[in-house]
Amino acid sequence: MTGKGLAVLLCFAQEVHMNNKKKLSFSQKLAKARSRGDFSAFFMLLPSVFLLTTMSIYPFFWLFRYICYDYNGFKAYFTGSRNFFRMLEDQTFWRSVIHTFEYAGMKLIIIIPLSLLLAVLLNQKLKGTGIFRGIYFMPTVISAAIYSLIFGFIFAVYNGVLNASLQKLGIISAPIDWLGNASIVMISITIVAVWGGFGNYMILFISGMTSIPEEIYESSRIDGANGVQTFGYITLPMLSPVLKVILMLAITTAFKDYQSILVLTDGGPNNRSHVMFSYIYKLIFSSSTTPQIGYATMLSVVAALMIGMVTALYLFVSRKLDDVL
Amino acid sequence: MEKSHTVYSTRTKIIRPLLTLFLVIVAAFTLYPLIYIILGSFKENAELLRGGTKLLPEKFILDNYKEAWEKANFARYTINSIIISVGIMTVTLISTSMAGYVFARKNFRGKELLYSLFVAFMFVNVGSVTLRPLFELAVKVKMNTSFISIILIGAGTGQATYIFLVRGYMNTIAKELDEAAKIDGCTFFQIYYMIILPLLKPILATTGLLSFRAGWNEYIMPLVFTMSNEKMRPLTVGVTMLKNSGDGTAAWNLMFAGAAISIIPIVIIYLFTSKYFMSGMTSGAVKG
Repeated sequence: MTGKGLAVLLCFAQEVHMNNKKKLSFSQKLAKARSRGDFSAFFMLLPSVFLLTTMSIYPFFWLFRYICYDYNGFKAYFTGSRNFFRMLEDQTFWRSVIHTFEYAGMKLIIIIPLSLLLAVLLNQKLKGTGIFRGIYFMPTVISAAIYSLIFGFIFAVYNGVLNASLQKLGIISAPIDWLGNASIVMISITIVAVWGGFGNYMILFISGMTSIPEEIYESSRIDGANGVQTFGYITLPMLSPVLKVILMLAITTAFKDYQSILVLTDGGPNNRSHVMFSYIYKLIFSSSTTPQIGYATMLSVVAALMIGMVTALYLFVSRKLDDVL
Repeated sequence: MEKSHTVYSTRTKIIRPLLTLFLVIVAAFTLYPLIYIILGSFKENAELLRGGTKLLPEKFILDNYKEAWEKANFARYTINSIIISVGIMTVTLISTSMAGYVFARKNFRGKELLYSLFVAFMFVNVGSVTLRPLFELAVKVKMNTSFISIILIGAGTGQATYIFLVRGYMNTIAKELDEAAKIDGCTFFQIYYMIILPLLKPILATTGLLSFRAGWNEYIMPLVFTMSNEKMRPLTVGVTMLKNSGDGTAAWNLMFAGAAISIIPIVIIYLFTSKYFMSGMTSGAVKG
């Protein structure tokens, strides 16, 4: 398990060795390394390297160990390619893949324009923008589990405040089952995701915009550009390197989200809101069925590969667009 | 800007208020759930179950908090949340400030490789499945019933960003300081401890806040680790568990109070330190 860590540390020790080109006795080398602080550097790096190896690297390689096994937490049976073929036939999994794309697509289509628009509006040095920024960013300090729970109350069918308000305003006549209706549930989940995330992207956009020199805006104002023109011809092109990074961040985050879904719907109704990672979570940690860890590791690897492919595709497209534009 | 006598066109005069209205609507959308839950936590359970659109409680009561605190174990959950988040913050501060310092000031073979390992594993995400081996490992070393495992996992999964932040900030500190201290006889560690650490304060404040928040809001990981150990649950897990328990519909008042207990401290911290939060988010993400 710490094999990787050891290798890294060995590298480190070797380096101490290599730097002393002149023939020195061992004790001299030791004294020199000590005076340069090599040992303290080693020990100061140790905690984070230890955490990296045990908490990130070890679990990653553990995954591949059970990929061909049927493992329920106590006993593991080698089943060869059975996990793979089971995956191919697993309707619920493939539907959850589609839901992942559906969720990510809906979330991004709303959250990116919204946060970009807010960033443009709040990037002016006017009074009050600080307060708005502070308010919009506030959801990001709250736990996804807790705000999903709150939205669960808001979305409640009979005593939820959303239905009550809509009925009072006369928009709907009968209460809507926001989280129980198969055709609405993804929209409800998207609303929650947008609420929890748009402030974050807004702040990222604003920080990207502050690097655009003020003079450019001034000259465009002299030339008589209006707000929309300024945005289209100056802000957006100047922002594009930052925009690309933020988009990539947003895409990978959207594909990884599942906490909120677990709290809001637990994948229901009838698996309609399961995304890949929530389905995998249920396979391993659900208390109602026996854990199917081997199969879940298989799905995890496939899910990670899919996200990797989406990211790569995005990078490819954004580079191609660069050449065209 | 303030001094210029800008003459606004009539179109601007119409658009301006509309844009402000838009900002206000989004702000209301953002704040509504928080106000709703906090005011709702003072309502009687009967009123909550009846529903309606009223934001203010008909009868203002504190019993929900009392009941949550005394009967529903929320005192325990709150303490657990504090232990976990302070623990994660402490471990993160110690390990990442040292690592950032070494990465910025020491040259050794494989340094960039090691650093890119940190960054790479920040992006590799295989979901909740990695919690399984960690749980098995914790059982093996008999730490599955201790907060230490939760704290170390929390600190371990988040550290890459913070190391990155500290390393970036280190580059703004003049190397001459190190050299001067070295001439005065400071060792490598003493330079860190006596010279660098005090200068790192701003970035440590950011790191501390972000990691505290991450610990306070952690949900899936402590959920997995406290599945069969109710006494160790933090607030996030404790509150959401009420929903899944059989009498979920009846315990709205407890969940409202519990959610409020979980939200209020972190929001108060945020109100006073929003700058650090925002600067931490941006320097961690965009420049990365």
